[in-house]
This record gives sequence, structure tokens and C-alpha cells, in this order.
Amino acid sequence: MTDPIVSLKGINIRYGTHHAVRDVSLDIAKGEVVAMVGPSGAGKSTLLRAINMLETPASGTLHVGDFTFALDRPLGQKDLLALRRSTGMVFQQFNLFPHMTVQRNISLPQMRVLGRSREEADRVTARLLERVHLADKAQAYPARLSGGQQQRIAIARALALDPQVMLFDEPTSALDPELGLEVLSVMRELAADGMTMIVVTHEIAFAAEVADRVIVMADGQIIEEGPPEQVIRNPSLPRTQKFFRAILERH
Amino acid sequence: MTDLLTNWADWLPQLLKGLGISLQLTGFALALGLPLGLVLALASSARGPALRWPAIALVEIGRGAPALVVLQMVYYGLPSAGLNLSAFLSGAIALALTTAAYTSEILRAGINAVPQGEVEAGQALGMTRQDILRFVVIPQGVIFAVPALMGFAILIFQATALTFTIAIPELLARAYRIGAATYLYLDVLILAGLVYLAVTIPFGWLVNRAARRLGSHLG
Repeated sequence: MTDPIVSLKGINIRYGTHHAVRDVSLDIAKGEVVAMVGPSGAGKSTLLRAINMLETPASGTLHVGDFTFALDRPLGQKDLLALRRSTGMVFQQFNLFPHMTVQRNISLPQMRVLGRSREEADRVTARLLERVHLADKAQAYPARLSGGQQQRIAIARALALDPQVMLFDEPTSALDPELGLEVLSVMRELAADGMTMIVVTHEIAFAAEVADRVIVMADGQIIEEGPPEQVIRNPSLPRTQKFFRAILERH
Repeated sequence: MTDLLTNWADWLPQLLKGLGISLQLTGFALALGLPLGLVLALASSARGPALRWPAIALVEIGRGAPALVVLQMVYYGLPSAGLNLSAFLSGAIALALTTAAYTSEILRAGINAVPQGEVEAGQALGMTRQDILRFVVIPQGVIFAVPALMGFAILIFQATALTFTIAIPELLARAYRIGAATYLYLDVLILAGLVYLAVTIPFGWLVNRAARRLGSHLG
């Protein structure tokens, strides 16, 4: 792979005695869409959250965009902010700021983090609201929106900072299926526009259709990876076969 | 009965003047005490022990000591430290200290009620810790705390009665003065009680409304 935009080397994450992520290495190319799947407790979300250092690995090397950090000692505040500015994250529970309008949710981080003027930030916000098909909701408060609408706002808020890579942590798990679809369709458009995306998900159909690569994790390790047609339809390990069979039976 | 009502009509203007001073004391106590309470709330949840422990000590002393003791200490204690304050200012400062200690706990509870996910969202966006506090945590923590803070405002309004011990001519002090002059202590104290109730009951009703509105807005 030439010049990965995200590169993890020898990442270990521990909670006390629990070894949540074990020596994981992973390269992701610019524009690639990677789906991370696996049973709960496999360490997928933990690994994803290490990419913007919401989880602190005990050891390893992290490279995102222009930044490379050795993780055996704590990151300085400046490095940490720079790293987070180059990544966007979408959470399972949306995590919009409920005391702000939709417009302020998206504009405020641009003004505080990128130093954009209010006018410029609001222009970017308006454009992004078009893009997630919620242009009419600029003045609404999050509590008045459906879960699917809130999640699309959350995607717009992350995109507004021009991230080099978007991290999705089970973006549809808290949504009814039909509301999940509108979120997945926005993500599909994003992928088609060439955004680099890492998506922790149980939506196997989405992974099969949109992902360039599927990564299967179990017990804190990557046990299988490859193009979706290979990993999902023809998994090589019994453990992976069992996992996908269980998911297909549920749907 | 007509005697009582005539007396009350005579006394009421005096007591209302006293009420004005009680309300002023309440206003000062809240205006000085609430910002200090917020500072103590943030400091007592700070990571650094140099900030955290002094803040916790101040809060515990301020809540542990009776308001009357704090009041007497400020009034009689500060002059011996070379600081001469008027009775009114001493009273306002003492009540503000009590306010700060109690409201810091109320505000801390409000701040802790802000979901961790929103803090993480701010972090993931690359916002600084100060910005997350300023724009995400404090505004919501304060909103969450509003009903309890309003309830506390009623208590500190009642506590202004303690300042009659340092000769501030507030509501209760004036009632006593009338009682001393007429020996109709019970009659005038009942009227004073009614004046306190005329403030606390409508305000308490506002508190309940605020709590309900809050529930529907953020829930």
C-alpha cells in the first residue's frame, strides 16, 4: 500500500488486567472504506477510539494524515488536538449538544477549532445540511429531531472540520431499521465522494455493498480481513463463518 | 380583631422596608455566592490536587459551619484582622460564603449530570478542555441545576433573618423592634411570617414550573 493515511502499528490497549486490543497493526489507504465487524467485546470500538485517542493505548505507533506518534509516552495537549482535528467521529448515541440549535452544533466547533468566522462557519453548515438533506432543520433543537436526523446532523458536524478520515462507531445501532437506512444512505454518498472511512458496524449488507475491505476482530485481534465478497461470503476461519452465519440468521 | 388589623396596617410599611433589605441581602448573597460556587464546583472536580483539596476544604467548612457562626465570624472576626466592614456588607459576605459552599455542590451535581458522550464529542472534534467546559459542560450543568438553585435561593432568603443578630434592620429585626416597643411580639411576628410567606410561596411555585419546563426541554 502506498502511503497509508491511517497506520496503526503494534497497538495494545489494556483496562487493568483486561487486554482489550492485542498488538494490532493496520494500514488504511486514502479513500478506502473499511468495515470492522465482529462479536461484541472483540475490541472493535476500542481500536477505533484509539485512532483519535479517546482510548489511550499502552504501546504502539499511530499515524494519521501528517501526524505520527509513538504511544509509549503520553501525548502533549497540542499533538492530541492536532490529531483529533484531522479525524471526524460519529458515535452510536449521536452526542449532539442538546442546548444548541442544529446550526450552532455544526458552526461552533468550526469557529472554536478552525477559527472560522461565524459567517463562514454558517455558510459551511448550510452546505453540509444540504448534503445530509436536512437544510430545513438549521434552527431546530436536537430533541425535536428523530434519531436518524440527529445522526445525520452529527455526521455534518464532524465533516464541517474537513477531517482526513471519518470514524463511525456503530452509527446505526441505536436506530430503528428505517431510520438507520437514511443514515446509511448518507454514508454511502460520503464513500462515493472519496472520503476515507472506518466503520464499526453490525450492518453486514452495508459492509458488503460499500466497504472496500472488511476486517473481522475477535478477542482484541484482527482474525481475518479482505474484500467483502471474500470475507463475508467465503470466510476462511470457522470462527468467522460462525459469526456471519449467526448474523445472517438474525436478519 | 380590628385592633390586630389596625396594628398590622400600622406596622406593615416598616416591615416592608425590612423586606427590601432582606431581598437586597439575598440578591448580594446570590450575586457574589453563585459565581464563587461555580468556581468551587469546578475546582473541587479539578484533576490537580493543588486546586481540588483547598476547594473541597472550603466547601466542607462552609457547609459544615452553621450560617449563624459564619455570620458572626465575618462580623466580629474581620475587624480584628484589620478589615472594618459595615454590618450590611458583613452580612452579605457571610451569606455569600454560605451560598458559595452550598451551591457549589448543587452545581457540581448539575455538571456531573452532563452526559460523558457529549464531552467525548467535544474531544473528538478537537475542542480544547476549556472550550468543552465553557460551551458544553457549564451551560448545561447550570441549566440542570436551576431548579435546585432556585430552591436554595428561598433558603438563603430565609437565612437573611439571621442578620438581625448583627443589627441589620431587615424584616425580622424590624419586627423585633416593634415587638419591644409594643410588647405585641406574637402579633408582629405573625405578620412578619406572613410577609416571608408572601415571597417564598409564589417563588416556590415558580421553582416547580422551572423544573417542569426544564424536564420537557432537555429530556
